[in-house]
Parts: sequence; structure tokens; C-alpha cells
Amino acid sequence: MRAKIVKYYPLIPVYAGYFILFMIGKNLPGMWQLVAMLAFYCAIGQAFNIFLGMTGYVDFGYVAFMGLGTYGMALSIAYFYQVEWLGIGVIVIGLILAIIMASLLSMAVGAVALRLRGAYFAIATIGVNEGFRYLIEGAKIWGGSEGIIFSGQLSQAFGVEKASELSTFWADISVFLIAGIAAFITIYYMRGKIGYALTALREDEDAAKVMGINVTRYKIIAFITSASLAGLVGATAWALKLTYVFPPEAFEIHYSVEFIIVVLLGGAGTLLGPIVGGLIYGLSKYWLAVIVPGFQLLIFAPIIIVIIVAFPEGVIGMLKQRIKGTVLEKFII
Amino acid sequence: MLLKLENITKRFGGLIAVANFSLEINSGESIAVVGPNGSGKTTLYNVISGVYFPEEGRAIFEGKDITHLPPYKRASLGIGRTFQIPRPFSSASVRENVAVGALFGRLSGKVSVDESLEIADRTIELVGLQPHRDKAAGALTPVEKKLMEIARALAMKPRLLLMDEAMAGMHPRDIDGMVRFLKKIKEEENIAVVSMVEHIMRAVAGFAERVVVMHQGAKLCDETTEQALRDPRVVEVYLGRPPEESHA
Repeated sequence: MRAKIVKYYPLIPVYAGYFILFMIGKNLPGMWQLVAMLAFYCAIGQAFNIFLGMTGYVDFGYVAFMGLGTYGMALSIAYFYQVEWLGIGVIVIGLILAIIMASLLSMAVGAVALRLRGAYFAIATIGVNEGFRYLIEGAKIWGGSEGIIFSGQLSQAFGVEKASELSTFWADISVFLIAGIAAFITIYYMRGKIGYALTALREDEDAAKVMGINVTRYKIIAFITSASLAGLVGATAWALKLTYVFPPEAFEIHYSVEFIIVVLLGGAGTLLGPIVGGLIYGLSKYWLAVIVPGFQLLIFAPIIIVIIVAFPEGVIGMLKQRIKGTVLEKFII
Repeated sequence: MLLKLENITKRFGGLIAVANFSLEINSGESIAVVGPNGSGKTTLYNVISGVYFPEEGRAIFEGKDITHLPPYKRASLGIGRTFQIPRPFSSASVRENVAVGALFGRLSGKVSVDESLEIADRTIELVGLQPHRDKAAGALTPVEKKLMEIARALAMKPRLLLMDEAMAGMHPRDIDGMVRFLKKIKEEENIAVVSMVEHIMRAVAGFAERVVVMHQGAKLCDETTEQALRDPRVVEVYLGRPPEESHA
């Protein structure tokens, strides 16, 4: 039993980090929005890490899962806001829809694209988000290019005050919770049979097959898990918080690239990495926008290059090497 | 009978890598597959382990037709292999590498992660890698990587173990140790060991009961080791025609 608990020790720094972040936002005036943004990058980084970090496959269409999750929540609110007895159930339905829609898309994409290796997979996924955007706009489904604006419905369903509390406070809290769940799933996978299979296939897929690993099965499991969590992040951090969804924003490839950077900065395939990456990325993006508005990307790009060159395995990847053989090894992975 | 290959042919475009090849392997046998470079040994291994499917012929393992079975299913039936150039899961530790074998090999679904780590520890001790147990597999020396691959394959508890040049590059003393080790394992666990050897006759003579000589994708001969080492055809494949007596 004790051995089992020891396996989950690395969650301590993760949850401690989220707790500190939350306390900073709660108690320092004017910090909540920044904290919410940081939590968003950490959460999506952790969700993405389960696929990108653990399998080594790069998905440029990843934002599509978030986009669909956003639509899941938007549709639930836009269609069910008048059903009175549902109450908070509208949000629950939205979350469930987000998971279902994101995981269905991941199954469809995975069934085709996960047969491809490395760069070919990456190229194949670039089209996914753009394809979805034009499908929604062209076929005029779910409001077409006008998207769905549901702030009015949200107020009608919950009352103005509660609706604003939902989108300014509870949406952010949910992001923290999703990040916590993602962290737990990550370590559960890492310590289990799935983790061994994913490490093996990330390092050498052909050898993994000969060793008895059904690589397609494990890649799909990681992909669906990661996509569902992204859907949840979309449903809360985007839909619930902003109370609207537009196809060009929900499927913007720029976000996929951001999330890839978050994972790589912190350390792909590590538990703590996406959090460190999310903090570094979110903070530098925020401060640069304050200090050098308009030029932030120009300065940001070289900083990222320097970090990636200095720590090719990410900050935590490097730290893991340093602390090998010390007590910290049990806590930081 | 453990494995039966019936008239296997594998082509790559116009090149026939394995031609109409038949072979029978009984459980617990030790066989050396020898042949010069390009004679089709590795392709034969890939056909047995499922990396390639043959164009013609059938493969039967323990009475089951495995000709078109994907590699991961063959592993769980009990076919394990090592690679000529070791393919460790570099970032994982030696222990984790070997545990993968236990988790997904013939015991797949029957052992927990903790149990597989115990099996890994025992197997690592068997091959003498315990000082390197917690090292990243990528940091091992080439010979250590080969030992780790053997441990990984043994942790799969195979019925048939295919070794691809496992002893190439080893010190002769290590080869003798390896031969002794393989003999012991084979007897204790009743594993049929097929070892592919390019030219280490020391290993062939010391270990194999039977020698299969491949030449240009076909089976040149299949006989006891003693016979094979004296067979003029085998000598010719390796060294060319013997010189005329008068020149000597």
C-alpha cells in the first residue's frame, strides 16, 4: 500500500504549485486575470503532454479539440437555457458534450493519421483545425461564420449576477480542477502499463511492436485522453469564460503552436514540465506585452529559441538529470 | 514442433530476399543460422517475428497459423527477438526496458507493473547487468546494450528466442560466457534459441546443435554442427573455392 502512495508523490509539487498560484490570484488584488491565464496554459499544457509528451507525436491540429469543446458548451447553453429544471445541469451537459465531441474527433483523426509516423503525422494534422473551421463556416452549422454568442442565454438561465460569477470565477476554478485531473491522469498513465507502452513506442516504435506492444491501441488511448481534456479546457476557459465562440478563433493554428511550445519548454513527457512551461510562457507573454507592446513576439521568439537550445529536454527534463540519486527524484518527474 | 516454416518466399520488388524457405524448429533446440552478408538471414527473422509478411508460404507456431499475425501478437505467443544493432528504449532505465518485456511478452495481462519490475530485476541479475540497473539504457556501452536486449527478450518468457548477431563485437571471453549462459537458460526454461551468426565460428561450435546455412535467400544446408563445419559447401560460401593442392 505504501509503495502505491509513494508512486503518487510527484503530485505533491504539482498540487502545491496550483495551490500557490490560486492563493496569489485570490489574495493579491488585480492578479486574478493573470493567474487565470497562467492556469489556462498549465492546464492545456498538461492535457497536450499526455499525447505530445508521452507518445512523441506532434499534433498541429490540437486546437481543434479545444474548439469543439468550446462548441460543446456553447451549444448546450444556447439550446437548453430555457429548460428550467436543468439548472446547473446545463453546464454539466456542456462539459459532457465537450468531451464527447472532442473524443469523437480524436477517434476519427487518430484512425487515419495515427497510422502515419513522425513528420507525416504532423503534416496530416495541420489540416484538421482549418478543415473544421471551413466546414462550420461553409456549411453554416452552429451559426456558421457568425459563431455563437450566448452571454444573453447564460444570464437568462442563471440570472445576471450568477452568470457573471460563472464566467469570471467558476470558469477559472474549473480550469484549475481540469489541470489537477490532467496531472493525476498523467501520473496514473506513467506508473501503469500504458506508460511503459508509450515510453517504448516513443523511443522506438518498431522495437516496441516486436516486444508485444499494440502501438496503435496505446497511441489512440493517449490521443483520446488528451483530446477530451482539451475539450474540457475549451468548454471552460474559452466558452464559459468568454461566453461566445467564433470559428476563426476556436480553430486558430497559432494556439496549437503555443501549446507545443508550453510542453517543450517545460519538458515533454514529464509531469511537472507543462506547468513550468505554462508559467514561463504565460508570464513572458504577459510581461513582454506590458513592457514592449507590439514587439513582444519579436523578442519572444529568440528567448524561446535560447531556452530550447539550452535545455533541449525542457526545464524539468534537465532538472531530472541533475537530481538523479537524490531524495527529490521521488517528487519531481 | 514449435515453429514450422513452409516454403516461405519474401520479395522486395524484383529482389528475392528469402526463397522458398522451409524450416522446422522444435522446442528447446539451439540452432545457428549462418550465412554471408545479404544471404537473407535478417529478412527471415523479420518474417518470423512479423515485421514482414511473406508473399508465399506459411508460418505455423505451436500449431497456429501466424503467417499474417501482427508482431505484437506473436510476442504474446512467445516469440522474442533481439536486434543486430541494439534498439533500446534510450530514455528509460535498464530496469524499465526489461520490465517492458515482462509486461507485454508471453505474460502480458497476467502480471502487474510491480511484478514485471521484479521479473526485470531477476533477469537483469541473470545477465549480470545489476550495476547498471537504474542507468538510462541509452547510456550503456554497445555490449551492455546487447546484454540488455537479451534480458528484455528473456523477460518476455519466450518459447522461441531469435538472436540477431548477439555476440558480434564481444570479447572472446565474453562470448564463451554468453554461450554458457544461453545453454543454461535454454535448458532451464526450455526455450528454443535461434542465433544468427555471421562469422563467429567459436560461438557456433560452442552453442548450436544444428546449423542452417543460408545462401542467396535459400537454404544451403541444415545439418548438425559437426557436419556443417566440415561441409565443403559451407566452406565455399564463406571462403570461396579451396585452392588447388599443387599451389600449397
